[in-house]
Amino acid sequence: MRLPRFEYYQPGSLAEAVTMLSEVPGARPVAGGTDLLVNMKHRVEQPAALVSLSRVPELAGVRSEDGATVIGGGVTLKQVQNDEGLKAKFPALTQAASVVGSYRHQTMGTLAGNLLQNTRCRFFNQSMEWRSVRALCYKAGGDYCHVMKKEGVCFCTYHGDTAAALLVLDAEVRVEGPDGSRQFPLAQLYSGEGKAPLTLGTAEVMTAVVIPEASATDGASATDGASATDRAAGGGSPAGGSVYLKHALRGAIDFPIVGAAVWRNGDATRVAFTGVDRSPLRATVLEEALAGRALTPAVIEEAAPLAPKGVTITRSTVQPGSFKRDLMSALFTRAAGSLL
Amino acid sequence: MKVLNVVGQRVPMHDAAAKITGQAQYTDDLVLPGILFGRLVRSTKAHALIKSIDVSKAKALPGVKGVITAQDIPDRVYGIVPKAKDEHVLARDKVRYIGDEVAAVVAIDQETADEAARLITVEYEELPAVFDPLDAIKEGAPLVHDNTPGNVSAQIHKEFGDLEGGFAASDFVFEDSFYTQAQNHAPLEPHAALAGWDALNGDMTLWSATQIPYFLKRNLSTTLLIPEQNIRVIKPKVGGGFGQKIDMFAKDFCACWFAKELGRPVKFVYDREEVFQSTRQRHPMYLTVKTGVSKEGKIIAQKITAHADGGAYNSTAPLMITLSCFFVMIPYKIENLVYEGYHVYTNKPVGGAMRGHGIPQPRFAIERQIDLIAKRIGVDASEMRLLNAIEAGEPHPAGFIINTCGFADSVREASRAIGWKEKRGKLPFGRGVGIACASFPSGVANMSHLASGCVVQLSSEGRVSVLSGAADIGQGAETVIAQIVAERVGVPMEDVHITAADTGLCPLDAGTFGSGVTVRAGNAALNAANDVRAQLFPVAAEALGCEVDEIEAANRLFWVRSDPDRSVGMRDLLRQYQYIDRPLPIVGRGAWVPPATSATTLLTNNGNLSPSYSFMTQAAEVEVDLETGRVNVIKVLTAHDCGQPINPMLVEGQLEGSILGGIGYALYEDSTCIDGQQHNPSFLDYGFPTMMELPEMEGIHIDTDDPIGPFGAKEAGEGTQLAPAPAIVNAIADAIGVEFDRLPVTPAMILAALKKQREESAAGDPAAAGDPAAAGDAAACHENAPREEG
Amino acid sequence: MGGRRILTLNVNGDDYEVVCAPNTTLLEALREKAFLTGTKRGCDLGACGACTVIVDGQAILACLSLAADMEERTIRTIEGISEGGDLSPLQQAFVDHGALQCGFCSPGFIMSATELLAENPHPERAEIQRRLAGNLCRCTGYVKIVEAVEAVAQGTDGGSR
Repeated sequence: MRLPRFEYYQPGSLAEAVTMLSEVPGARPVAGGTDLLVNMKHRVEQPAALVSLSRVPELAGVRSEDGATVIGGGVTLKQVQNDEGLKAKFPALTQAASVVGSYRHQTMGTLAGNLLQNTRCRFFNQSMEWRSVRALCYKAGGDYCHVMKKEGVCFCTYHGDTAAALLVLDAEVRVEGPDGSRQFPLAQLYSGEGKAPLTLGTAEVMTAVVIPEASATDGASATDGASATDRAAGGGSPAGGSVYLKHALRGAIDFPIVGAAVWRNGDATRVAFTGVDRSPLRATVLEEALAGRALTPAVIEEAAPLAPKGVTITRSTVQPGSFKRDLMSALFTRAAGSLL
Repeated sequence: MKVLNVVGQRVPMHDAAAKITGQAQYTDDLVLPGILFGRLVRSTKAHALIKSIDVSKAKALPGVKGVITAQDIPDRVYGIVPKAKDEHVLARDKVRYIGDEVAAVVAIDQETADEAARLITVEYEELPAVFDPLDAIKEGAPLVHDNTPGNVSAQIHKEFGDLEGGFAASDFVFEDSFYTQAQNHAPLEPHAALAGWDALNGDMTLWSATQIPYFLKRNLSTTLLIPEQNIRVIKPKVGGGFGQKIDMFAKDFCACWFAKELGRPVKFVYDREEVFQSTRQRHPMYLTVKTGVSKEGKIIAQKITAHADGGAYNSTAPLMITLSCFFVMIPYKIENLVYEGYHVYTNKPVGGAMRGHGIPQPRFAIERQIDLIAKRIGVDASEMRLLNAIEAGEPHPAGFIINTCGFADSVREASRAIGWKEKRGKLPFGRGVGIACASFPSGVANMSHLASGCVVQLSSEGRVSVLSGAADIGQGAETVIAQIVAERVGVPMEDVHITAADTGLCPLDAGTFGSGVTVRAGNAALNAANDVRAQLFPVAAEALGCEVDEIEAANRLFWVRSDPDRSVGMRDLLRQYQYIDRPLPIVGRGAWVPPATSATTLLTNNGNLSPSYSFMTQAAEVEVDLETGRVNVIKVLTAHDCGQPINPMLVEGQLEGSILGGIGYALYEDSTCIDGQQHNPSFLDYGFPTMMELPEMEGIHIDTDDPIGPFGAKEAGEGTQLAPAPAIVNAIADAIGVEFDRLPVTPAMILAALKKQREESAAGDPAAAGDPAAAGDAAACHENAPREEG
Repeated sequence: MGGRRILTLNVNGDDYEVVCAPNTTLLEALREKAFLTGTKRGCDLGACGACTVIVDGQAILACLSLAADMEERTIRTIEGISEGGDLSPLQQAFVDHGALQCGFCSPGFIMSATELLAENPHPERAEIQRRLAGNLCRCTGYVKIVEAVEAVAQGTDGGSR
């Protein structure tokens, strides 16, 4: 399946990249390409120009800045999962990075790209020929939804793995645009809409992910790859820790049907999910119920049914909503249990 | 005892080095001077009349060299089964499924061809469509083909013994219904064709990713009206088939048509989406099984009713439904038996031959029902299988001649190796074991076009050149044939060079299907090699001063059996052969056709379906994640009677690949449709097992020595895909007490069933909780509550 | 920026000058411009691994890489693994263990496994599975592929070559 035509720019600096993105009409940034190029082959995204971030030096590397951990937007998921410092402090993130797609996607894909991936739907992520059988859906610029049939709303679902992990780590993202740099909580990156799921401006580049030191836990580092589907690797110590668990049909290649991240430090617990709604989300009802309580098996069991509460579950033609609800509770239970 | 030197050895595939270095040439790797690239335009409607097709914009696009619709080519139908041809290269008048071909373009490069295809607009008049075979057979249902009332394009009704009498004589009679889904073969190589035309001689050459070069040649001739003797089909390396390439497709015909029209080579390569949507898939099937048993578990009578969802065209329909029928008669002895099967057209992707071909579906139903019955009447499911096992040499209701049969041993061995006695019903909740059984033909007899030929040539340097029509699609057919020839001529493997599946050079062969290649093409090669021996060995006998039948040969050496020191090497022997003025090369010819009791059509007659039958029992141990519903297959083992393996390493590879495909069928794969549109046409969304899904596998070989196969070989690797799914679902039932009656069993289904089980358990129903004490309670534990009689 | 231009791609130590458009993938450049057809097109959407090549030491999917992004990089394809015609120890192990059938996925597996062993010469079975799981095979059931990689990793195989 061939790519559509586009112009291609290869800036050598961040400033140059931002300039190109603001000046070239219809330009989009591309890093690993594992999400965008598939969508372009399917012709669900057809930018007039691509600005490659692969040679922008400012996006590389993991460093410490005023105590916070700063991960360059261009750091690959393979680099993330192999970084000893990240493994020790933020196991949920390295575990999530190690279960994205297949190892090939982890090698090519960047952390920023994983966060910025488009939302998905079985009726949208198809070739132009395939989609031509049906009316154009909202997301493709049409006036219809083939799944939910709710007027005017697109329910394309967000399936990024690392977002859930970074949400419980209270991460912020740093972006560079024509008006300079700004930094804001990760949750604000997502609009909550299926059709246009991101809040970034067209000329903005995500330069880094910033994780506060307060989110670091002194957990035993996760075993490589042991965080495979459903199986908790353990990423904690008695003091606390973090963990990411993914349920997908297969142990590789697939997007999560549901992904769950849990972070614990003393009596503080944070829980986030991906794959359930149009954006990754913190399980606020569940977190409120856990607030100020020490996690014990009994507390986890009591709270688990609350995992899906307050969340709009986007069902699909592939997985029933009730299954996703069950998985949210199950993955929370297992993830939280591994942190005791 | 047989002493073998090359046969029976773990020889690497003769083309392994070419494949592992990237030098092996598949169809899409080939380029010819002046080549053009094609693309097909496919229907966006499930069922519609074609009112008009506007190709003007496509034709006007710079770089486009040709555009055709049905009106530009002969009005001929093609098909793999001669009596069931129903497919046009490009749809005439109406389209029958989403993905049906309506037009084709060629251009100077692929990008231009793709763009031109998008510029073609088709005006349709939509017709009511039908997507389920049980709807399609109802009165008043839309007709997919106007000439097929009721949409039943092939059916079979076989009756043996006295069914009603058998039911009356049974202690119990149970009726259960099952459903199996569509499965895609998903070979890694997408379908491709490259055609070249020699205008001077009127010769067409087609390189095609095919399992059936000779059938393809004939169909090219009858469809495009080119004399058959002017067509040469060459099968390059084929990147997997599993039955999907036992057919011909628009790409083959369109490549040839354009090559002839334009006088330039033309290549068509399908996108992955086209492979999923517009080639072939395993038939979804609805099955009802009614079985009468004695209280000990002896099957007295059985009636099977099957409705196969054929999709829009026949492909192998009559053969598929015949195989589906005949293989419910084996591996169990059932004297009173009725099978009624229907191949039903729907406006969906087309069913075709897939590894097991019509048999995994009834196998799932029967093997599941045996477990259900065993539970209901309180007998051991493994013992029940043994009690009904067929034996070699027994008279068979349909006239099968079973010369060797390791079936009962396979049940015993598989049960022993999985730890049946220690584990069945005794593992902690969530963990279980299951077994299931099957039998498969080694190629099909009693049909037309089933001969294989072979030529073996021995040159003055001792090079052995083999010409075989057999189509190696990655399973190693060429290697097996070369081993057979090497063994018989008395040379090491490296002396044998094989050219195969080139219809311009090689003798006739039926193709790769029905698991018949090793027996059929292997026997042809054996006969050809014997012909070489017959010419060569008298000279050796002369040189060594002994009788011809005293000569032994191996590794380029010929010696007297009783006195091995009297020997002569191949080079010296060939020199002597030349000195006495006999012509070199020595050319041996061989052919083989499966012995049939008579030339019949099995759709209507009975007879010995295959020269030999393989038997297998598969056992699985699973662990069900009670919170996420995931099934972790811990171990699958196969106890298998495939006769004498020509190459044990290749046999193992066949078993392992087949089992993983079976695991996919059980748990992962489902080629779904929504409104007739294939819903998961990609490796991402279809999701066949990756290396992460790999269980422990074990193969147990049951020794038999078949009198018909070359060196005693029988089928291997296709039958193995019949029983993993029921074995796994039986193991799931043992693990959690839930009796699934459809495939695939997904985590969502498991969680829903467990939830229901908990609710029923809370309501005080012991059977639903998987309580072994309640296992004998027949009706309560299955949603298709059986009728209990007797 | 939008038109075709001549790229210099360093593949297996050789500089290939190929005319590519911005939308030409590395897979298309290798197969159709440099005639290195050992790299296979299985799905063209990054979900099968048949097109895996090694760029600057990293095994990546050629179908989702732009040729224009590949200048000044070191590209290694299956044709560059068996230098001088000798099979690499890994290739020899695949042959000896019967770790291939139709062969269409084999080049991709060799590239992924070559990267793995370069980074971790003695991987455990679970690590082999995780790192090769992006390469699909429909023939072998993966058993012998895992065995072949394990054999090289444990030094029980192919080391003499």
